[in-house]
Amino acid sequence: MYEDLKKDIQGKFPAKFEVIRERRIKVSIDKNSVLPFLSYIKSKGFIHLISISCVDWIKENEFEIVYHLWSYTDEIHIMLKTRISRKKPIFETASEIYPVAQTFEREIHEMFGVDFKGNKRQIPFILEDWDDIPPMRKDFDPLKYAKSHFETEEYTEEVWTKVRKIQKFRGEE
Amino acid sequence: MKGFEYFIGPQHLGIPGNFGIIVNVDGDTIVKARANPGYLHRAFEKLMERRLYLSNISVVCRICVFDPDPQEAAYCMAVEEIAKIEVPERAKWIRTMILEFARISSHLIYLGSLTSALGLYTVMQWALTDRDYILDLLEMITGGRVYHIFMQPGGVRRDLPEGFKEKAKKVLDSLKSRLSDYYNLIFDNNIFVHRTRGVGVLDPEWALSMGVTGPNLRACGYKIDVRKDDPYLAYPELDFEVPVLEDCDMYDRAMLRMKEIEQSIRILEQILDRIPDGSVWKPVPNPINWEVPKGESFVRVESARGEVAYYMVSDGEDKPYRVNVRGPSITHGILVLEKVLEGQRLADISPIVFSLDVCAPSIDR
Amino acid sequence: MSGIGKTSRIKSLWVTYYVTGCGGIELLPVITSRFDAERFGIITSATPRQSDVLVVSGFLTTKTLRRIIRTYEQMPDPKYVVALGACTINGGIYWDSYSTADKLELYIPVDVYIAGCMPRPESIFMGFAHLMAMIKGDKADGWKRYHENYKWYKKNQDKALGNSKKWRVRDV
Repeated sequence: MYEDLKKDIQGKFPAKFEVIRERRIKVSIDKNSVLPFLSYIKSKGFIHLISISCVDWIKENEFEIVYHLWSYTDEIHIMLKTRISRKKPIFETASEIYPVAQTFEREIHEMFGVDFKGNKRQIPFILEDWDDIPPMRKDFDPLKYAKSHFETEEYTEEVWTKVRKIQKFRGEE
Repeated sequence: MKGFEYFIGPQHLGIPGNFGIIVNVDGDTIVKARANPGYLHRAFEKLMERRLYLSNISVVCRICVFDPDPQEAAYCMAVEEIAKIEVPERAKWIRTMILEFARISSHLIYLGSLTSALGLYTVMQWALTDRDYILDLLEMITGGRVYHIFMQPGGVRRDLPEGFKEKAKKVLDSLKSRLSDYYNLIFDNNIFVHRTRGVGVLDPEWALSMGVTGPNLRACGYKIDVRKDDPYLAYPELDFEVPVLEDCDMYDRAMLRMKEIEQSIRILEQILDRIPDGSVWKPVPNPINWEVPKGESFVRVESARGEVAYYMVSDGEDKPYRVNVRGPSITHGILVLEKVLEGQRLADISPIVFSLDVCAPSIDR
Repeated sequence: MSGIGKTSRIKSLWVTYYVTGCGGIELLPVITSRFDAERFGIITSATPRQSDVLVVSGFLTTKTLRRIIRTYEQMPDPKYVVALGACTINGGIYWDSYSTADKLELYIPVDVYIAGCMPRPESIFMGFAHLMAMIKGDKADGWKRYHENYKWYKKNQDKALGNSKKWRVRDV
C-alpha cells in the first residue's frame, strides 16, 4: 500500500517510512528537515493540521514533537515525529505554513518549556501567576504541590462521630 | 487607542459556561477582541498518567460536560488499538446508539441557548423538556443521567434491559412529531431572520485553513464528516446522509443542526430494528493488573461540536505514559472567534459565541 | 429579623447566575418546566448586587476562586452560600491536582452542602428546603461569621492564591 507516496518522500528527504494499517502512516525525520517537509507535503494535499503533541522521554534526555496531518482528497493520516534536546529546548515555528499552529505551540511552551522561535504570541494561556517549573514535565510532583498549598481534612474518629450526629438529626427532622 | 475596554467575564448570562472575552470598543463597534480561557483547568493529562487504565474511564468523561460519550468511545478505541483487542458486534451497535442519543441531546441544548440569547425564551423550555425524556432512556441502560461510565476496553458493561425497544420507539415518535413546531416558531419568525441573516459570516476558504471542523464547516459548503471519511464502529453498515448548506451565517448553522437531528432519528430507528445478537463484552486478562504492550495509536471520532482526536503512548506498564486530548473548540474558541468578532456590534457578541458552539471545558482540560 | 421579614425572604430567594463547574449542567433542568423552581420563588438574577444566594456548583480552580471571592464580597447582607457536589466538601475526584482547591469552608463561609456527583434535581430541591428551614430558625448566619473572623479567612486565601495586592485591587 502507498508505494508511490513512499518513493516520493524518500526520494527528497532522509526519512523512515512505515505503514501501520489502512489510512495510518508513520514518518520519522531529523529536526533540520521539518519545515521543508511541511511545505512540500502541504502542496501535495495535506492541508489539515489536526494537532501538535509533545512527549517527555526523561530517561533518554529528549523531547519528542509529533505533528498530525490529514488529507481530505486521499484520506490518509501522517504522524510526523522528530526529537530535540531536553537541556536547551529551542525549535522553529510552523505558523507561517499552517496558521493554526500558533495556539498549539503556545500551549506546549507553557506546559513543557519549549521555546518556538518566530511565534509572536507566547504569553500565558491557561495558567495564571505560575511560579514553579513547567507542570507537564516528568520530574514535577502534583501531589506534593497540592499538599503544600491547599489543606484537606483527614478522616479521624472525631470527624466520624460528628457526621453520625448530623445524620441522626436529619432523620428525625 | 481611544474608546473603552470591557471584560465580558465569567459571570455573565450570555456566555456558555465559565469563559472570558476582553474587547476594545469604539462607540458601538468592536475593534479588537481577545479570548481568556483557563477558568476550568484541572490538569487531566497529568492525572491520567497516575491512574490505572480501567480507572481512567471515570475521569475521561468529565472533559466535555455537554456531551461526554464521544470522549469515552475515543479512549476505549485508542486502548483497543494498542492492545489489539477485537470488540464483538453487538457491543459496537450499542456504542453507536449511545453516541447518537448524545448528539441529539447536545443539539437540543444548542437550540435553547441560541434563541434565549436573542430574546425568545419559549424554545428553551421546550428543548430542555424533550432532552429530559432522552436522559430517562439513557438512565434505563446505564444507570446515570449525565455521566455514564458505560464503555470499557473490550465492549460495554451490560446488556439492554427488557422493554427498552418499545419505550425508545415511543420517545422517538413523539420527538419527530414536535419538530414541525420548532420549524414554525424559530425559522419562520421575522425577528429571528432579520437578526441572523448575514451576521457572523465565515469565509469558506479561510475556515478550511483555520482548522474548523464539524457542523460549522458543513454549513460553509464542504461535505466533510469523520463518520464517512474514516469510518469506525457500526457506521459502515448504516444508511444515512450528510446535510450541507451554502451561506455560512448564523441562520444556516442553526438550520443545519435541525437537519442533523432528523438524520440521527433515522439512524436510531435502523439500529433498533437490526441489532445483532451475541455477547457484549470480551474479557481482558486480569483487568486490575493489566499491562498493555508498548506502542502508540491515534483515533478520531465525530462529536456533536466537531472532531475529537486522542493520541496515546504506552510504555509496557499498567498506567499510560502520555495521553493527549484534542477537542473541537480549541480552534473555534480562540483564533476563529477573535477574527469573527471584529466589526460587529456590542449586542451581537453573545449570539455569535453561542452560534459557534464553544465548549469551554474542552479548551482547558 | 421580624416574622414578616423572615417569611418574605423565604418565599423569594434570588440566585446569582454563575456556572462555575460541572454541576451547572443539572441547574438547567431545575429552572425549566419539568422540575419547575419558579413555583417556590427561586429565579436567577443577572448581577450579584441584586441577589441573595450564591450557588457554587462544582470544583474550584485557583483562577475561578479569585473571582468567586470578589463576587461574594459584592453581594449585600444578608447572603447565603449553597455548595453543590462532592468537590467542595473534601476535594472529590481531583484530590491530587495542582490546580484545584479542596475545601470551600476555608475561603468563604458555607451554609448548606448538597452531596452527589452530580446531585439529581430532586436533591437540589431538598437542599433549598433545608436552607429555608434554617432561615426560619435563625441558624443561617454565614455572613456574620465572615465579618467576625475576617483575619482567619484572609490568611487562608493568601496562602492558596498568592500575592494579595495583585488580585484584590480593581483592574479597570
